[in-house]
Amino acid sequence: MIELRNVTLKYGDKLILDNVSITVKDNRIKAILGPSGVGKSTILKLMLGLIKPNSGQIFVDDVDITRMKEVDLYPIRRKMGIVFQGNALFDSMTISQNFSFFLRENLRLPEEEIERRVTEQIKFAGLEGYEDQLPESLSGGMRKRVAIGRALIFKPRMILFDEPTAGLDPVSSKKILNLIASLRKTSNLGAVFVTHIIDDVFAIADRVAVLYQGKIIFDGETERLHESDHPFIMSILSDKILEI
Amino acid sequence: MPMTNIRNLSDQAVLRLKEFLLTMQEFFFFSVRAFTTMPKLKRYWRDFLDQANICGAESIPIVLVSSISIGSLLAIEVGNLLEDFGAKTMLGRSTSISVIRELGPLLMGLMLSARYGSRNGAELGAMQISEQIDALRAFGTDPIAKLVMPRLAAALVMFVPLTALADFAGLQAAGLLSEHYHHIDPGIFWNSVYPRMVPKDFVVGFLKAPVFAIIITLVSSFNGFSARGGTAGVGRSTIKGIVVSSGLVLIANFYVSKLVLENMQ
Repeated sequence: MIELRNVTLKYGDKLILDNVSITVKDNRIKAILGPSGVGKSTILKLMLGLIKPNSGQIFVDDVDITRMKEVDLYPIRRKMGIVFQGNALFDSMTISQNFSFFLRENLRLPEEEIERRVTEQIKFAGLEGYEDQLPESLSGGMRKRVAIGRALIFKPRMILFDEPTAGLDPVSSKKILNLIASLRKTSNLGAVFVTHIIDDVFAIADRVAVLYQGKIIFDGETERLHESDHPFIMSILSDKILEI
Repeated sequence: MPMTNIRNLSDQAVLRLKEFLLTMQEFFFFSVRAFTTMPKLKRYWRDFLDQANICGAESIPIVLVSSISIGSLLAIEVGNLLEDFGAKTMLGRSTSISVIRELGPLLMGLMLSARYGSRNGAELGAMQISEQIDALRAFGTDPIAKLVMPRLAAALVMFVPLTALADFAGLQAAGLLSEHYHHIDPGIFWNSVYPRMVPKDFVVGFLKAPVFAIIITLVSSFNGFSARGGTAGVGRSTIKGIVVSSGLVLIANFYVSKLVLENMQ
C-alpha cells in the first residue's frame, strides 16, 4: 500500500501540490486524473521517493519513506515498478540488455535465472525476434511494452504508469490498457496511472483521484465520478479529454 | 516607486544568492558521492574501460595537436626573444619549463574540458531529460556510482599519461623547430633541457593532471545531471559545464603552480 499524507510540494515559489492525500491499496488500479502540468507525474516521483515533499509524509507498506536516505530507498523502490511517460529506456542498450540490466545490477542471480526472466519478459511483451534491436528501431507501442516488461522484472507488487497511452495510436492505446488490466489478474499487481484522458480512467480504473490546481478535488470509486458537482469534473465529463 | 524597484532588486539578489548556495551544497554532496562510491569500481569496470578509452585513447589526437602547436610557437617566439640577448642556447630550458610546468598541462586541460567535458555534459543531460537517470534511481541503481564515478576514475588515471604525452610532443616539436628555424644544434637544445630539470618541474606539471581531471569530470557531470527543459536545456547545461570547468582549470593552474613553487625546493 502507498499513502501520501497531507503532502505539500513547491518548486521555488510555485505551489505544485497543496496538502494532497492519496492512498493506493494493493491489487487495485487507481487513476490520478488531471490536466497537463498540474503535478500528476510529480505524485509518482514522490511515491518512489525520487523527490522529497516540503511537508507531509509518504508511506510504503506503512514505512515512512519521506526523509529516508537514497540507499535505504532502493529496496523499497524495488517493490514498485515504474513506466515513465517517455519510457526512459536505455537507448545505448538492446531490448534484452534493457531487461537484464537491473537484474544484474541489483540481484545476485545465476546467469540462467537472468536469461529465464529476460526471455519471460520478452515473451510477455510480445517482442520475440526483437531481443537484439535498439529501442529507437521499435514503434511507440512496442517501446511502451518494453518499458512495462522492464518495470515487471523485479516482480513488484505495484506498478506506476506515467501517461501510459500518451502519444500512442488508438489501437496501441487499447492494447496497453488491456495489458495493464490483465496484470492484476495474471500477476496480482496493483497499479497507479496518471492520465489526462478520462476514457482511460473509465476503461480500467477501480478508483480515481482528480487533481486540479494542486488539490485533490475528488477521490473515490470511478463510477461515482459522475456524482460530483465540482464544475471542473462536470466539464471534463462532458468534454471527455483534458487539453487545458 | 524607486523604493519598490530597489526592494525588488534586493529580493532578486537574495534569491540568486540562495540558489547559488543551494547549488554549491548540491555540488558538494554530488562530489563526495562520486568519491565515496569508488570502492564500487570493480563492479563498473566495463564503464571505467569505456570512459578510459573515450577520455584517454580518443583524446590523443587533440592533445597532440595542441601540444605540438604550443611547443612550436614557443620555440619560434622565445627563440626570437633570446636571440636579441645572444642567449639562444637557453631555448631548451625556457621551452621545457613553459611546456612541462605550465602550457602543456593547461592546454591539455582546456582541450579536455571542451572534448571530454562537453561529451559528459551532453550525454548525461540527454539521459536526465529523457528520465533515464530517474529510471536508474527508480530501479535501485545509484546513478552517481554507475555514471559519474567511472568517468572520474578514468579521468584520474588517463590524464597523467596524457600530460606526459603532451609534454613529450610539445618538447619534440620545440626541439625540431629550434633546429630547423633557429638553426640550434639538437645537442645544445637537449643539453639545456635535461640536465637542468628538477623534480619541482614535474611535480608542478603532473599534479595539475588529477586536479584538472576532478574539476572537468565533476563540473560537467553535475551540469548534465542538472539539465532541465528539453534539448535546449541540454545545450545550456553543456555550455555551462564547459565554461565553468575551463574557468576553474585556469584558476587551479595558477594556484597549483603557486603552491608547489613556493613550497618545494
